[in-house]
Amino acid sequence: MDLQLLTKAVGDLDEPKVLGMLKEFAASNPTAEETAAVVSACQKGMTIVGDLFDAKEYFVGDLIFAGELLSSAIAILKPVMGGEETVNTGKIILATVEGDLHDIGKNIFKSMSEAAGFAVYDLGIDTPPNAFVEKIKEVQPQIVGLSGVLTLALDSMKNTVQAINDAGLRNGVKIIIGGNPVTEEACKMIGADAYTTNAAEGVKICQGWVS
Amino acid sequence: MTDTAALAKEREQLFRDLFSGKTPKRVPVTNPATLEFAIQYYGEDLAEAQWDLTKAESALDKFCHEFPTDTTPIGSIRPPAYYQLLGSKAIVMGSGGFMQHPEVMGMFPEEYDDFIAAPYDFIIETIMPRLYTELDTDPHKKAMVLAKALQAHLDDYAFIGQMRARVNAKYGLVSPAVALTEAPFDFLADFIRSFKGISSDLRRIPDKVSAACEAVLPLMFKKGKLPNTEMLGYSFLPLHMAPYIRNTDFEKFYWPTFKKLVEALAEAGYNVQLFIEHDWMRYLDFLYELPENTIMRFEYGDPRVVAEKLGKKHIISGFYPITLLQTGTREQCIEKAKELLDIMAPYGKYWFQGDKSIISTDKTGNTAKNLRAVLEYVMENGTY
Repeated sequence: MDLQLLTKAVGDLDEPKVLGMLKEFAASNPTAEETAAVVSACQKGMTIVGDLFDAKEYFVGDLIFAGELLSSAIAILKPVMGGEETVNTGKIILATVEGDLHDIGKNIFKSMSEAAGFAVYDLGIDTPPNAFVEKIKEVQPQIVGLSGVLTLALDSMKNTVQAINDAGLRNGVKIIIGGNPVTEEACKMIGADAYTTNAAEGVKICQGWVS
Repeated sequence: MTDTAALAKEREQLFRDLFSGKTPKRVPVTNPATLEFAIQYYGEDLAEAQWDLTKAESALDKFCHEFPTDTTPIGSIRPPAYYQLLGSKAIVMGSGGFMQHPEVMGMFPEEYDDFIAAPYDFIIETIMPRLYTELDTDPHKKAMVLAKALQAHLDDYAFIGQMRARVNAKYGLVSPAVALTEAPFDFLADFIRSFKGISSDLRRIPDKVSAACEAVLPLMFKKGKLPNTEMLGYSFLPLHMAPYIRNTDFEKFYWPTFKKLVEALAEAGYNVQLFIEHDWMRYLDFLYELPENTIMRFEYGDPRVVAEKLGKKHIISGFYPITLLQTGTREQCIEKAKELLDIMAPYGKYWFQGDKSIISTDKTGNTAKNLRAVLEYVMENGTY
């Protein structure tokens, strides 16, 4: 297996090539160590995808397809991955906030942060502040991600941050907001730690927080 | 003629001039806030008032009285009865009462060939029952479901029409008619294959995506036509997917049938308004090519660059950042309106609209206060 070639094929989003290489690899009865190296090569390919997105060569549709490609890749590799737990970069609780049903951006951020090694707890759409609070108590994440597309999401994000505050949990987590209506001013008004309209950038911010 | 009738006449002329490319007497103004905003602002429950629209009328009346605008501030309200009776998955109510369009998939990738062969039949027979689940039944029950849903729809829209006529008569407002349609690629993404589905299809089965866009083009044209070309109004295309795909994909999949659609509508004598969602700055040269006086409401981008590139040929609108109303001071909000007027008005074809619609109130109340100040400012200072 030429790992550099695999990384490049993932970066190019060349689905037939990536899946072809991985199927051949999985059929060769690899060791857990070899498989870990292949997973890491795929993750590097996803980093290239993120970089090309930053460079405005890829766009949101390409990120969505990258997520699809990664799921197919993992489905092929899973049987040969071995039983040991992979080391997580960190834990993120993620959801679309109350009143908003849009989840495309949230799902992109989810697949990219999972590709970067985060364990992501996805609470879904139209999520009330209380559900965030309960989940934070349960899993004690380092990061909470609030997503929304409609402008009404800004008020829901504010309510959510307030609820986390009121529960005495604010100091234990970093909060990032993402989606079409977020701006620097909105971020201040909401009381989040960071904002982004770019999922790849959001993942980098999260990596910075846990490194 | 009464004062308000004269005012309505004058306002109608503003838009007739604007749409035909003639510089109107002053900059026409559309309040970016919708009926959903008004319902909440005047203390009604949003979900309830959409079910019982009589509860919305006093809010609309006060809204027209207190917030200056030239067009009736209703927006694209979607009364929920119709959607609920159809078992809609495509348009549903969120917990806050706002009706919205989640990601839905009406067709699987292996069904493209059937869709391309007869798109209308496939939509009616296969896609509708998937997206509107109460239609997934035997023909007799289906007929009953449709009859009930359509009755609810017509009742609600008849009431909206009467309510609109009453406030228009009282305040001299105008309501340009709207025929909603979509660029073929957007239609495929929004209702047929989903955002996620189409993003994979254009890599896996590109030829089928192109063929499907061509196949739905006649339907999109038909849907974009108003009853006649004389009435004040426009075909309205909310544009969705172009900012999310690569330039090469845009040129191959999005642009060809989108351009044909806009050209066909213009050729048939209809005004066309595009709501240019998200960032289209890399496509300005394409937009330039569309028929003269296409109305382009922008959500995002550098107004100066857009005005320079497109302002002479097309009618530019939008850009006013409505989130500023929530976070900015009154002075900042007015300054932003002045800045846009200074950039756009010299081209003689500017229409004041928000970058997005305002659909909800905010806790601080800033949005409403600043909105009123901005509307008053543009009404008084919107000269070309």
